[in-house]
Amino acid sequence: MSATHALRPGEAIPGPASRRHGGVWSVYRAERRKLATQLSTRLLALLCVVGPFAFAGVLKIQTGSPADTLFGVWVHQSGFALSLVVLGFCGAWGFPVLAGVLAGDIFASEDRYGTWKMVLTRSSTRRSLFAGKLLAAFTFSIGLLVLLAVSSLAAGLLLIGDGSLVDLGGRTLSTGHGLALVLAAWLLNVLPMLAFTSLAVLLSIATRNGIVGVIGPALVDLVMQLLLLVGTGVWLHSLLAASAFQGWYTLFTAHPYFGPLVIACIVSLIWIAACLVGSWLLIRRRDFAGTPVSRRPGWVVPVRVAVGSAILVAFLAIASNWGPAGDTAAKLKASLEPTFNSLTLLQQRELGRTVAPGAKLNVLTTCSRRASTPAGPGDWICTLDVFIPQPGAQPFNQTPVTYDVSLQSNGCYKAESPPTFVGQQTMKDAHGNQVVNPLFVIYGCFNPL
Amino acid sequence: MAVDRVDLVVEEGEVRGLLGPNGAGKTTLLRLLFGLVAPDDGAIELFDRPLGSSDSINLDGVAGFVEEPTFYPYLSGRVNLELYAELDGGADAGRVGEVLEQVGLAGRGGDRVSGYSTGMRQRLGIAAALLRSPRLLLLDEPTSGLDPAGARDMGRLVRELAGDGTAVLLSSHLIGDLETVCDSFTVLRLGKVVWNGSAAQLRDQAPGSAYRLATSGDARALEIAEHHPHIHATRSQTGEIRLAVQGRIDAYVLDLGRADIAVRRLELVVSPLESMFFALTTDVELDSAGLAELAEAALAGT
Repeated sequence: MSATHALRPGEAIPGPASRRHGGVWSVYRAERRKLATQLSTRLLALLCVVGPFAFAGVLKIQTGSPADTLFGVWVHQSGFALSLVVLGFCGAWGFPVLAGVLAGDIFASEDRYGTWKMVLTRSSTRRSLFAGKLLAAFTFSIGLLVLLAVSSLAAGLLLIGDGSLVDLGGRTLSTGHGLALVLAAWLLNVLPMLAFTSLAVLLSIATRNGIVGVIGPALVDLVMQLLLLVGTGVWLHSLLAASAFQGWYTLFTAHPYFGPLVIACIVSLIWIAACLVGSWLLIRRRDFAGTPVSRRPGWVVPVRVAVGSAILVAFLAIASNWGPAGDTAAKLKASLEPTFNSLTLLQQRELGRTVAPGAKLNVLTTCSRRASTPAGPGDWICTLDVFIPQPGAQPFNQTPVTYDVSLQSNGCYKAESPPTFVGQQTMKDAHGNQVVNPLFVIYGCFNPL
Repeated sequence: MAVDRVDLVVEEGEVRGLLGPNGAGKTTLLRLLFGLVAPDDGAIELFDRPLGSSDSINLDGVAGFVEEPTFYPYLSGRVNLELYAELDGGADAGRVGEVLEQVGLAGRGGDRVSGYSTGMRQRLGIAAALLRSPRLLLLDEPTSGLDPAGARDMGRLVRELAGDGTAVLLSSHLIGDLETVCDSFTVLRLGKVVWNGSAAQLRDQAPGSAYRLATSGDARALEIAEHHPHIHATRSQTGEIRLAVQGRIDAYVLDLGRADIAVRRLELVVSPLESMFFALTTDVELDSAGLAELAEAALAGT
């Protein structure tokens, strides 16, 4: 097509030089306003504010605790633990859902309402529209994360209190130290949150379907969570965006290790970059001028997508064995033993017994996996033989303690012992208060890399 | 090739109709002007400046819509306008209210767009365009989907805007809607300009017009028509008189009066613009027989 065209209105009309131009920030302001007026965004914000308080309120009126989640047994004792439990849940499920609802429709809605032509005939270029919408989605994603952080901390501190947090090494953290670590943990979730927001944007642009954009990130997260449960290798697990939400655990170990944390940040950045580059290429090449082609609903495309996805997931499941085994008996033993030691000393102090600083138990630990392969995530059993000095002909009294360990691919575990070994979940301290028995459930993490 | 070597001049305060049958290239031309598509070859100039693809700065002074104006239905008309204004860098305080007033939607600005009629959406589309204070307003089928009253209102609004000095290019394939609104016309056929001129020139050059006539003495009226060589009169199957007129009908009507024949009904069936449009966009020769056929087709609604 060739076209030569000239339109010359009379010169008397004021020239265009005085006009303002829209740019990235103009689009950003408009998108921010649109998002703020949407019912879904308002409901999410309300949920982020009210949710942690409701959770804390429910915990207040019952004795049970979400023990399966890291820090879960401590929620009745420390407000910080409550915030971390909320963070753990959000990292697994909440953030991908929030990202999908926020960003999954931000581009697709323009297709649904047919407004692309209108917005592109204003002063905004494709580039500024893309950047402005993206910035708005990022702003709201981070905003909701901050709301959740503040709300969960406020709910924990107001309804449960600022009791000391017991970390993943069995140490008791001061209030200031605990607060700093909790805030850092929330902060470390910003990048993976943006990775899922970028994924939602990509799905929104690629499919032009708000439903896929909204649900897609949650589905992808579900698949990733399942992949984290299978395989023994560390490489694929480390590359999954869902695992990046778990990088913060390393902050709470007795000897913090930053390898997984750095990898989590790099992986998040890679996901963000990949999704955004793909999104931009699609937007740049899209023909917005043509009349939308009405697609006949059929089974061909959904079936192809389903088959393709199944093949991809099967491939990834096989690839989950890629690389060295992260979860080994030696690593688990090396983590569980000192944590058990610290928690035993904590228990003894709470019971009013004098414990020398730096006291160390004589413990011999053996761990084995309840599966055919000796390494990998899943169910393990660890037996800790504690040798307690005693007078007489036999210098040590051997006390075995058995823990059922549920180990994740990221090296974090929950170890639970039957009451016959370590007593009930709660116990009376030296002042007669009902407190958490530190040995009932042990949480810990080690570096799987 | 959708459009080729199209050269248009729209003066200040002028309303130019862009006519053409479906597929003539009207909408493609507007898409090119808005930068929604880039030409495969050649260049586009607006206000004597080359228009680059996706270069919105070149859209300064141009506003309008292609195909139909679209909005976010869950928001009010006012908020929609504020959002569109924001994309242009933000509107001055009160400007949104002004344009709503201008298009007659001031009282409904707070309502959600999902509750707007087609006509209200078209008017809101013009309001959105006016926010840009355009020197040139490009409107694609602005009367599409409107009832006759709505189309009349739209025409009145366009004339008012032109009265304020805005140049308006109005694309439509509904010739009747443009006839009373436009000062000049450009006719496209297969992507090329086949006619360009003022409304007066068009009327002068039009091959003719067609009417249906009812009088107090139809037989005598037919006889009188035979004395006017540029008028071809026939009786339809329903008994109505059909007139194919090449030129003006005034002298014939005066003769009817002189012969004491009362004209009870004289209805324009094919206007000069329509006949011109038909002649320019088809290969059919529009002599008196052709005009009569065109009139039959118009009355049959085909």
